[in-house]
Amino acid sequence: MADNALLEARGIAKVYPDGTVALRGVDLVVRPGEVHGLLGENGAGKTTLTKIISGLLPPTSGEIRWRGKRVRFSSPREALRAGIGMVHQHFALVGPFTGLENIALGEEGGGALSPVHVASVRRRVEAIMRESGLEAPLDVPVEDLPVGVQQRVEILKMLYREVDLLILDEPTAVLTPQEAEELFSVLRGLAAQGRSVIFITHKLAEVTAVTDRVTVLRRGEVVATRETPGSTAEELARLMVGEELPPPRARAERAPGREVLRLEGFTVPGPAGKPAVQGVSFSVREGEILGIAGVQGNGQTELVEALVGLRPWSGHAELLGKDLAGRGPGEIASLGLAHIPEDRHGMGLILEFNLAENAILGRLRPFLDPLGRLRWGKVYRFARELISRFSIQAPGPRVPVRYLSGGNQQRLVVGRELSKAPKLLIANQPTRGLDVAATRYIRDLLLRLRDEGMAILLVSADLDEVLELSDRVAVMYRGTFAGVLSREEFDRERIGLLMGGVREAG
Amino acid sequence: MIILLQVLPVALRAMVPVTLCAVGEITGERAGVVNIGLEGIMTLSAFAAAIGSWATGNPWIGALCGMGAGAIVGLLHGFISVYLRGDQIISGVGINLLGMGAVGFGTWALWGAKSPMLDKKFWIPEVPGLGISPFVLMTPLLVVLTWWLLHRTALGLRIRAVGENPVAADVVGVPVEGVRLLAVVFGGALGGLAGAFLSLDWLHTVSPTLPAGRGFIALANVVFSKLNPFLALLGGFLFGYFDALAIQLASVAGFGGGIPYQFVRMIPYIATLAVVALAIGRARFPKALGQPYRRE
Ligand SMILES: Nc1ncnc2c1ncn2[C@@H]1O[C@H](COP(=O)(O)OP(=O)(O)O)[C@@H](O)[C@H]1O
Ligand SMILES: [Mg+2]
Repeated sequence: MADNALLEARGIAKVYPDGTVALRGVDLVVRPGEVHGLLGENGAGKTTLTKIISGLLPPTSGEIRWRGKRVRFSSPREALRAGIGMVHQHFALVGPFTGLENIALGEEGGGALSPVHVASVRRRVEAIMRESGLEAPLDVPVEDLPVGVQQRVEILKMLYREVDLLILDEPTAVLTPQEAEELFSVLRGLAAQGRSVIFITHKLAEVTAVTDRVTVLRRGEVVATRETPGSTAEELARLMVGEELPPPRARAERAPGREVLRLEGFTVPGPAGKPAVQGVSFSVREGEILGIAGVQGNGQTELVEALVGLRPWSGHAELLGKDLAGRGPGEIASLGLAHIPEDRHGMGLILEFNLAENAILGRLRPFLDPLGRLRWGKVYRFARELISRFSIQAPGPRVPVRYLSGGNQQRLVVGRELSKAPKLLIANQPTRGLDVAATRYIRDLLLRLRDEGMAILLVSADLDEVLELSDRVAVMYRGTFAGVLSREEFDRERIGLLMGGVREAG
Repeated sequence: MIILLQVLPVALRAMVPVTLCAVGEITGERAGVVNIGLEGIMTLSAFAAAIGSWATGNPWIGALCGMGAGAIVGLLHGFISVYLRGDQIISGVGINLLGMGAVGFGTWALWGAKSPMLDKKFWIPEVPGLGISPFVLMTPLLVVLTWWLLHRTALGLRIRAVGENPVAADVVGVPVEGVRLLAVVFGGALGGLAGAFLSLDWLHTVSPTLPAGRGFIALANVVFSKLNPFLALLGGFLFGYFDALAIQLASVAGFGGGIPYQFVRMIPYIATLAVVALAIGRARFPKALGQPYRRE
């Protein structure tokens, strides 16, 4: 065994009940007092590995040593007792509970029937906040807090339990660049105290920014473990992806054309009477990508759903001069709007249907004969055409889309939407959860469509994506636009501040 | 006017089963488990209480038997819902059918065709000096106790956590299944106490239809209460009041009004529907209500 290991995982394999092989014999060694990066593409197995370490999933085979002793956690409770705590990508918080109640849950300071020891819990949490530099309000229901703050409550919850190994699963996905910086300094502080952190990411810059060592996972296997100082981003990228990708498409110089979409004072009601989108005005023109940046949950979802006709709204909106008021989703689509939804499973695809059936969702008419029956020959021909045009890896048009990878499912959604020959494309988080190759494909495609003159509204919580693709960027914060910047004005730091609600003077 | 006050003693009695059942059900629902089998629980436990009282000669032991029967049915429902991850509605329907069937068979086997009247010595005695049922005093106490349990104790925090987000509870080491089961058993025990009240204190008989729909009214009361025990007490009193009023009016109407008795007896149920229809919509139920928990 490796000496000086806090955690040592050997030969961890995981086969999910549905037969997916997520891990194929993974080794991971975490030393005391280090921030250990776990780098890998979407689907590489990072989450699965850490769920096994934290007792949420049993491994199919392999063994784990904790402080030198062989352990087999059968529940998160046992792992937590031993000193391993994990902050999940989807937070494990009780929405209506306050921060204090969430932190105290399970460690209330007395017997089951005794009252929660609010005062002593509070005293301890406040001490932890001072020591770690993590601040969060303790008396507000966490569901009313911004996600970045909810994350702090989650971390505090683990620190309250005095974990020696803190696992964070893609923590920066919900943070502004400044919040991410703050998190990094908290993690460095923990490491300085001798605690260890497993920091999961698929972003190279974050690995170099915080980690001491990094383990790179690819398709369920460890391809390398390195000391971070001395590793270059290029090298890590190559290890992570396993192939050289062609350079990204260069954007053509292009003056935008006529206005395609125009909104004025666009307001969408949200839960509890508060508007989710409040008086937003903007336009999107031909041959331009308007990017909407912002931490998720600031009204982006509601804005898009209202635009495509799925939510009531007020104000003014027109597509190619036609008023959108009072029109339903079908009618709006027929005016020339296509939509890549953020949730391809809930909204974009019907997983039980096969590829061909999904390919014609929302556009049956061209495939009907005069009696209203589907012309299956034509449907399959069309599906095969999509498969080849959008390089969808699939055994054929009859495969249920459930069996396609995320990247291929997304290619299908995009292909279907583009076959409607839209004037405006709304792409909501189009690359979320995709691997690097599929992400590159979708981004290049969006740029090509823009060069060819399509108007594109891109919504993404990934700031790098927005900055790479957009001609102009609007930052959304609490349902309003905190600023609209043109390409010359792009500046990560400034946009990061706007994402966090810092208003520009004037 | 007089009649509105005259019915008060009956109203207080009628409040008891609807409130106790609702408060028990609130506890279970806070933990994420729906039990629509309250009617069946009361039917069974009323029978068990009567047998217990009759066999031991001590009505209080009878009441404990009723509570125990309710707790056992709660255990059964909890086991099916929590551990077998069965459909909670179907299990609840099963309990209601079981109550009718088993008690129907039991009364027939013991007493033949007609329902028995319990002898006075098997009744729960009134509180000396006050002339009211001890259950009428116990009910508000149990309401306060349940509220305190749910909102002031560590266990209550855990109960509400497993109903709202079982993953969050599991991750910090709260045994989700155990807490849920406990809450459902507690709910069953309160339902059992309500059943014991029906046979030993109020109606002095057993029959397969003894609760006369009060288990379902209690479910309506749960919705009305928005899972707040104090509002459930208010709801229970409102229903009890309409119930008592209807009983009174029916006896009057029988004399001269010409309004059919059955029609008047509909009042409390219609009033309940109306109240629920007005109260619904604003209630916020636990997020994981009705959903079995499975760790990935
Ligand atoms: N509950 C599950 N059932 C079946 N397959 C799963 C499940 N969770 C993840 N997978 C699959 O396991 C692989 C690894 O997933 P995951 O650990 O989430 O990767 P990462 O966190 O690196 O993106 C993927 O192919 C994913 O589709
Ligand atoms: Mg993951």
